[in-house]
Order: sequence, then C-alpha cells, then structure tokens
Amino acid sequence: PVVLPGTGNNIIINPNQRLNPVLECIRNVGKEFGDIVADFQVGRTTAVLYLSLKYHRLHPEYIHTRIERLGHAYNLRVLLIICDVSEHQEPIRELTKTCLINNITIMVAWSYDEAGLYLSTYKQFEYKPPDLIKERLDKDYNTILRTALTSINKVNKTDVETLRTSLGSFSDIATSSSDQLQNLPGFGQVKVRRIKDAFEKPFRNKA
Amino acid sequence: MTSLLPFHKEILEEIHDPSTSELLILARGLGLRRLLCTLMQIYESPQTLVLLVNASQEEESAIGEELGIMGCRKPGLRLVGYELGKKDRQELYKKGGLISVTSRILVVDMLQSDIPINLITGIIILHAERVTALSLEAFIVRLYREKNSAGFLKAFTDQPEHITSGMSPLKNIMKELQLRTVHIYPRFHETIKSTLESRKADVIELYQRLTEPMEDIHHAIVQCMTTTLSELKRSNTTLDLDDLNIESAYFRSFDMVVRRQLDPVWHKVGPKTKQLVSDLATLRQLLNYLLTYDSLSFHAYLEALVASNTINATGNARQHQSPWMLTDAANVIFQTAKRRCYTVTSAKRKSTAESSNADVLDDADAWDALYEAEGRQPPNAGNNQGKEARKAWLPDGIDPVLEELPKWDLLADILQEIEEEMIRQESLSTTVLGSNTVLIMASSTRSAALIREYLSSMDVSAPKGARGRKMMERKLKSHFWWKGRLATRKQDDGKGRPDISRNHSENRNKGNDSGSGSAEVSEALKRKDKARQDRSANRRRVRGGAPPAIAKHDSDFDTHYGLVPPQQTIIVRAYSDDVDDQVLWEVKPRFIVMFEPSLEFIRRIEVYKNSSPGLGVRVYFMIYQLSCEEHKYLAGLRREKESFERLIKERGSMLLPIFQTQTSGKGENTFIKTISSRFAGGRKELSTTPPQVIVDMREFRSTLPSLLHASSLLIIPATLTVGDYVLTPDICVERKSIPDLVSSFNSGRLYTQCELMSVHYKQPILLIEFEENKSFSLETVSELKSYAKPSSKYPSKKPAGPSDTDRAAPSVQSKLVLLTLHFPRVRIIWSSSPYATTDIFNDLKANNYEPDSARAVAIGAEDDPEAGAGVNAAAEELLRCLPGITAKNVKYVMSKVQSVRELCEMSNEQVQEILGVGPGKACWEFMHKGEKSRSAT
Repeated sequence: PVVLPGTGNNIIINPNQRLNPVLECIRNVGKEFGDIVADFQVGRTTAVLYLSLKYHRLHPEYIHTRIERLGHAYNLRVLLIICDVSEHQEPIRELTKTCLINNITIMVAWSYDEAGLYLSTYKQFEYKPPDLIKERLDKDYNTILRTALTSINKVNKTDVETLRTSLGSFSDIATSSSDQLQNLPGFGQVKVRRIKDAFEKPFRNKA
Repeated sequence: MTSLLPFHKEILEEIHDPSTSELLILARGLGLRRLLCTLMQIYESPQTLVLLVNASQEEESAIGEELGIMGCRKPGLRLVGYELGKKDRQELYKKGGLISVTSRILVVDMLQSDIPINLITGIIILHAERVTALSLEAFIVRLYREKNSAGFLKAFTDQPEHITSGMSPLKNIMKELQLRTVHIYPRFHETIKSTLESRKADVIELYQRLTEPMEDIHHAIVQCMTTTLSELKRSNTTLDLDDLNIESAYFRSFDMVVRRQLDPVWHKVGPKTKQLVSDLATLRQLLNYLLTYDSLSFHAYLEALVASNTINATGNARQHQSPWMLTDAANVIFQTAKRRCYTVTSAKRKSTAESSNADVLDDADAWDALYEAEGRQPPNAGNNQGKEARKAWLPDGIDPVLEELPKWDLLADILQEIEEEMIRQESLSTTVLGSNTVLIMASSTRSAALIREYLSSMDVSAPKGARGRKMMERKLKSHFWWKGRLATRKQDDGKGRPDISRNHSENRNKGNDSGSGSAEVSEALKRKDKARQDRSANRRRVRGGAPPAIAKHDSDFDTHYGLVPPQQTIIVRAYSDDVDDQVLWEVKPRFIVMFEPSLEFIRRIEVYKNSSPGLGVRVYFMIYQLSCEEHKYLAGLRREKESFERLIKERGSMLLPIFQTQTSGKGENTFIKTISSRFAGGRKELSTTPPQVIVDMREFRSTLPSLLHASSLLIIPATLTVGDYVLTPDICVERKSIPDLVSSFNSGRLYTQCELMSVHYKQPILLIEFEENKSFSLETVSELKSYAKPSSKYPSKKPAGPSDTDRAAPSVQSKLVLLTLHFPRVRIIWSSSPYATTDIFNDLKANNYEPDSARAVAIGAEDDPEAGAGVNAAAEELLRCLPGITAKNVKYVMSKVQSVRELCEMSNEQVQEILGVGPGKACWEFMHKGEKSRSAT
C-alpha cells in the first residue's frame, strides 16, 4: 500500500528499499513507506539516496539514473554510502566529483548500524538548533584548563594535573620559568620548550 | 678546537667534495658535530649559499657557536626563524654564506621563489633518518633538484636504529633524498677501532644494588608490564604479537612497533586494548623514574597518576581504569613507594618528638658555645626556632623515612676518593694535563639538578643513607603542601590550606634562604670545623648550587666572591647531544663520573682521550645492578650493532634507484589539457598557466602540500583567513584530520569556519582526511581524546531523543549530521589518505579556472590589519581555548596582545577593555583561578 508522503514525524522510505538491511537498524524514529523520488526522506527538505559500494561496483550506472531522477528537488540532498569494499579509493573519488556537480553531500558509513544511526539522527535533528557544534562558554574550570593545556603538543592529562597542583593558576603556569617546569615530575626538555613556545612566543612576527 | 682524529680525516676526505652528494651514517658519540662544522667551515664563503636543514633550535645555536670558535665569524652561520620577515630573508639569501633554515620556511620560500634555487651551492640535511616520502625534507629535495642539478646534498644521521622499519629502509631514504652514495661508519669500523683502541681511558665500573624497597617496586613494575603485555596478546590473538617481549618493552620504540601492528585494525580492538598499549608506556616511564627520581618525587608522580586515572574530566569516577592499577603488584608499588617516604602510625608520638626536640636544643647550645669560643655573634639566632618549626609542619602520626637513592652515597664516596687522588698527585708534583674539575654526568637535567642539590646540602658526617636528609626533609615539606593542593580538587573550591601554601610559596620563590638558610649555616659551620682537622673536607664547592650562607662568616672577600679554583669545582650536567664533546674539551676533566650509563658518552670520552694525548682520564661508571638500567644499556649496545649490520647488508644488495627528470613529462601534460576542446565545446579561453592550488601557510605542517606538488600541481603558499586550500575561484577546502575534526567540533571552531566558507565561496568543502595505513573508518574516533566523553562503545550508545542528548555526549557522526543540516551547501570529501586527496583535488580542478591568490588572501581578512603575516600556531591554539575568546575576536586579541603570557599578566580591567566586560571577566577569572586563595590570605 503506497501512501503519499505525510507531514508527520516518520522517516518516509521508498518502497524499493523494502529489503534493505539498514531498515532494521533505524531505531528511535517512526518509519513509513511512501512514494518519493529519493530513497529516504528524513525531513521536509532533506532526502537521502542510499548506495552500497558493492552494488555500485556491479551497476555503476545505477546511481546516476537515481541522481538524474532526483532533479533539483530538496534542499539538502545526501548520498549515504556504505563502504563495504576494500578498494574504496577509486569509487569514492568518482562519486565525490559527481556529487559536487549535482549538489549532493556525501556521508560514508562503514556498517549498517552506522548507516541507520545517520538516518535516524537526520530525522531527530531536523529542527535542532546548532548549539551543539557552536562555541560554548558554559564549561567548568577543570575541563577548560584541560582542553587549553592539552592543546599544546606533548602535554597530557597527567601533566595538566601536575601543573595545576604544583604551580596553581593558569597565569602562574604562564609566568613560571623553564627551570621550574623542568623540575616537575614527568617534564622533559622537549615538553618544557613546547609549553614555553606556546605561552611566550609572540603570536605574529613583525613582517 | 680539538684536533681531528685519523678516522675523522678519512671521513672528511670521502665527503668533502662539493660536486658529489651522499649520505653519512656515523655511530653516535663519534663527533658528528665536529665533522659537520669542519665541513661547513670548508664551504663557507660569500660566493656560496649553503643551507642547513632539519636542525633543532639547540643544534642550530650550538653549531653556530662551534663555527664561531673555529673562526667562521664573518658572518658565520645565520639562523632563519619565523620571526624573520620575508624581505629580510630575501636579502639574507642573496648575501650567501651559511644559513640554517627551518624546513617549513624553506619550503615556502622555495615555492614563492624568495630563494634563488638555481644559485644554491648545496644543502646539508641533518637527521636524515627522519626523512620519509611524506616529510617536508623530501619535498625540499624535490623542489631543489627540479631547478638545480649541480649543487650538492649531504645528509647526515647518527641514529642507525631508526633506519630499520619496512622492507628496505635505507633505500627509501636515499630515494627520497635522491642520493646514490652512502657511507656507513659504525664503531666497529676498522679505522675507528684502530684509532680509538690505541689509548684507553681508565674506567672503573661500579655496580650498585638497589635498596630493598626499590627492588620490590622494580620487580612489581616489571610484573605489571608482563601482565599488561600478556593481556594485550590474549585480547588480540589474531595478531602476530609473538615478537613483543618484556625486554623490548623497555624501549620507547616499542610503542611504535605495537602501534604499527595494531593500526590497520585499530578501530576494531576496543578501548581495552588501547588502554593496555598506553599503560605499557606509562609503566616504562615509571621504571625510569624509579631509578632517577628521589623517593618523594616518585611517590608524588604516582599519586598524580592515580588521581588523573580515577577521576575523569567532569570529576566523576572513571569507568575504565587501567587494569594494572588493580593488581596486587600495583598495590605493592603504591605502598612501597609511600613507605620509602614516610610511614603513618596511628599513635601520637609526643614523647619521641619531645626527645628529638631536646636533642636539637642540646645541639643548639653546643653551637652557641662554639660561637663564643670563636668570638663571633651567633647567626640570626633563629637556629633552634628553625629546627622546631621544621618539626611543626610535620602532620601528626607521620614518621618520615625518606629513603635516599643508593647512588648518592656511592657518589659521595667517589668524590672522596677523587679528592684523595688529587692530593696524592699534587704531592707527587708532576705536571699533569687537564684540570681537576670533576665532571658528573646524569641522564636528564632533572636528575642533574637533584645531584646538584644533594651535593650542596650533603652532610658529610652523617651515616650512609642519611647524608641527604636535609634536602629530603625540605622536599617532604613541599610535598605535603602539594598534597594539600591535590586534595582540593575533590572539594573543588580552592580554599586549600592557605597557611601552608603561603609558607611554601615563600620557600619556593626565595630558594632556600629563609627557612632553610639557618640550617645551612650550621651545616657550613660544621664543615668548617671539620676542615681544620682534615684539610680535604672543605675542598669542594659545587658550581651553581653553592650554599649561599657560607659567605656570612668570613671577612675575606676574595675567598668567597672570587673565582673558585678549578680543583674545587664539580660540574653536574645532563647528557645531551654533541655539545658534550665541546664541554669535555673546554673543561678538560681528568675525573668523570657517569651517574647513569650512556653509550654515546663513553665514545665521547674515547674520542676526547684520544685527541688529547698524555691526558690520564679516569671514569667512574655507575649502574644499578640487575635493573632495567643495566639491561637497557646492554640491549642498546646490541641494538645499535645489529642495525648497523643490517644497513651494511642492505647497502651490499641495494638496487640503486634511477632518478628521472620530471620536467619533460609535465610540460606535455599541461599542453594536452590546454588545447582540449572536448569540454564545453572549447568555450573557455586557453589558459597557459599550469594548474595551481593556493595553500594556507599553516597547512605546511601536514603532508598534503608535498603530495600535491608531486602530482604536478603548482603550490602557492599564502596566509588564508578562510579555508585551507583554494582549488578554483569557487572551491574552497577546509582540511580536517580525525583528531582535528573531533577537537574543532568540541570547540565550535568548525561551525565558524563553515559559516565563513559559505559566505565567501560558492562551493565550500570539508575534507575529512584519514591517515595512510590506518583504518578508514570513523569508529576510530570513539577513543580519541576519550576523556572528553564517556567511553562506552558506539553501538550501545545512541543519541536518543532530544531530551537525552544533553546527558550523553553525542558522537562525531551526529555532529556531522547537524553540520550538514545547517550548512546544506557544504560538501564533504571522505579521503582515506593524503594520496587519495591528491587524486580528488586533481579531479576537481580539471577544466576549471585557476584561483587568484591575491583575492584568496583578501577574503575574510578585511578586519585584520596584518593579513599575510606569519603565525605562531601553538600559541593561537592555546589562546582559542581560553574562555571569552571566540573565533571572531581571536584575530583582534592577537593584534592587541603579543603573547599568551602578556595576556596573563594584564589586570582585570585591561582584559575587559580588549574582550568586553563579560567575556573579559570570564577570561581573567579563568586565568587567575587557583591563586586567589593565596593572594587573599
């Protein structure tokens, strides 16, 4: 029974995907079959084409006919690739080019589980604001300190702990001398130099 | 400078010819630096342009100095760092001479034709063992050979152990450097052997046993390593891990071997294996620290380790602890390490404390009497107070044990013996070469500092094993303070213990003059007293760490502020690279103590001894018996020999690569492309410019630019504000390696970058680049920086409904989804390796217009007055992490402030002026949190 795409909270699935093992892996969202051009419609303006590289190897022309039929519909068009062959470099290169021309974004998954995750996440995040990936300020002191100091090459979390406990605040660390740093357990010359470079070398040269 | 030995001359004769190019592999410690400097001295002239590449900062300055000593002063070796502007560099290259350049800068200069490549006389490459197909040095050589086939290229290395991985490692290096000749000089080379073995140094080997607790810990650590290793093997039965054994695990290269085995399946192995691999590294470090750190630092390090392992970033208990930490052996490690420092008794020890106090008082009385007899004022009368105070800080119920490293006693004995020997030789009054300075060599600057501290506060009269008591007590005091700070983490509000902390900070800042100064006085007096009876007791001062208090008593200025005569000095140094040769030669010691074994240094002594005939050198060689130190030393010897043998064998059977000139093929290629009218019916104008890519300066840290160049694209370096690569006027690419991707999702930087790209370019692209030979899968991501999120594995974790996502940290996959939803125009390139990226880039560039570099630089840089200048990436990265600093204002901050340190030193108001009130306050408070408790009291 083919129904017209509704407006509800379900992922609309093209009936030709009926035997796709990915369907089992789409969890936490509703599913319904519907007459659509794409393989999955995961939002009002978002559509997904599905392609397994194994299949692509056998029928290289298939995906092009699908893309052609898609035309200019949808705002965000995704090609979900299942990378299930070991010789992936060549097909991915070729598909990248095709998709760039046709305004399609590629997502690569390595297992059905992961592909299912992508599909259900697209639906769940349909109206989600981008706060998750924007810069945030509401982190606690220790986390920021850790991220800041570990951004310096060679500094690990044990070192952060040592720095915090033996020197004190961030500015104490910034103003401490090389000798002082060198005397901390676990600090060698290279690490100390890296830290000094990050803290004391000027941001820009004068040129 | 020293005279060159016969084998040095032989090598120089082989390699000095400026018309040939070759690779020299020399055993470590045989004076590579000296050879290099002699060679550079030969080449130095204003008519030549010789570049030194791949030298570290220390090496650059040391080579420059040595050249100066040898007489190359006008102008000698000049250094090019990123601080030097573009114009100045061009000037410098034009003037010629010897120039040391950082690889990254040289690549950019070569690409921008700031350096006349065809006029380069030659390039000298250090650390040739690090050259791979992907390294910048290979890129440099390729650029160099494209335009200059006449110049020489001399590559040097003294690390044969590094040239062992892969099928034919030597050939690969030579192929990348485009060399056809290699000279190999191991220690067992005939000429070297005959030279060095004619005169041998007088070596005394001292085998010191570990103390019982140390032995226990040593044993327990090895046991932990064994269990960890067998656990690793058991959990990865499919892998061929049989050749991994506990002996090889002592070396740092072991990590690389394991990673290389596991990399292709790294995404499958699960967090447990990953934990095990990193545990092995930690344990190896512990072994090393056990032998070199004093008992308190070792204990402190263990405690920090436990603290960072049991608590995750958010302060909750961590789920996946390192398995070794839960074993019995680990318990032995922790308990014994603690027992080496102090024991905790529950009973109050009032009586003993009192009795010891009485002792102290008695002592003090005796001192007073002594002072009176000498007719002088007792020094600052704080003697007994100081001693009582020292007892006061000791918490109740704690008995200090303060075990000392057994080598310290041995060292004291050796110094005694050396003194006696010196006196004996003096009485013989024959003229002896060399100075009486004693040179002590240790493995790290840290242990050198420790020895220095020990010697300067050593109590000669104390029984064995307690001579460094004073120093240890001082350390114990600061240890308790430190423990207080470690504990505050759990309470989280930085109240701490202000009285102790202030006490300590004074102590730390002023070194040891206030609290321990009085103690020093008595010690100095004791020593002085002894000197009367025994003239040798006061002979030695330690250079650098001389106790300051001695000077107080004597009226004679010269004896204390004048120069210390060389026979009384002891120099403590850490092993470093070839600088040691220079030290030996300048100091000319007759007595050398090797506190820790070092293969290279023994050879240096051999060379030193042989190049100064008539000098009698005595070497004391200390090693812990039956420890990993001994084993490491012997295995190191064996490894070096084996790798040399392998290299010689490979040289014998090597097929020499033929280097084709690339230029012919390239011209043809572009020609075909230009006249092709197949696409768009020849609508485009013919472009005669070769295909080009604009690359951000910062990207030269990665391997991609080199590979792009190899695929015959023209690379144009520029400082870009938006994007990393500009392929065509419309296509802009932001490259992210996997760790980058995770961190820039976390910091929110990627969002801003995509925002900017979308505004300025029609085709914004995010390139996700995986690494060559590593698994091509995003699941690897779950372990990277795993402390940032709970480390449950992927299938079980689902970003459940919107209400739950705040609780469970979302995966990279779901963040990617969110990114594409918000930037439907951003395309993603999934590239399994930089090689694959090159192919894709070439594909995308085909039949498109070439980008314009001036336009690319200007895009997005409107508000930045200094667009195009060089950038200190590490500092910028650090700055970005601070609260209150966003991608939007970071540029502005960098133009206002010189360095992070400067920002830290600003007042609250100044910071607020730059960042605005709210963010400025947040930033300032972040930087100064933790010290509040101290300034408040």
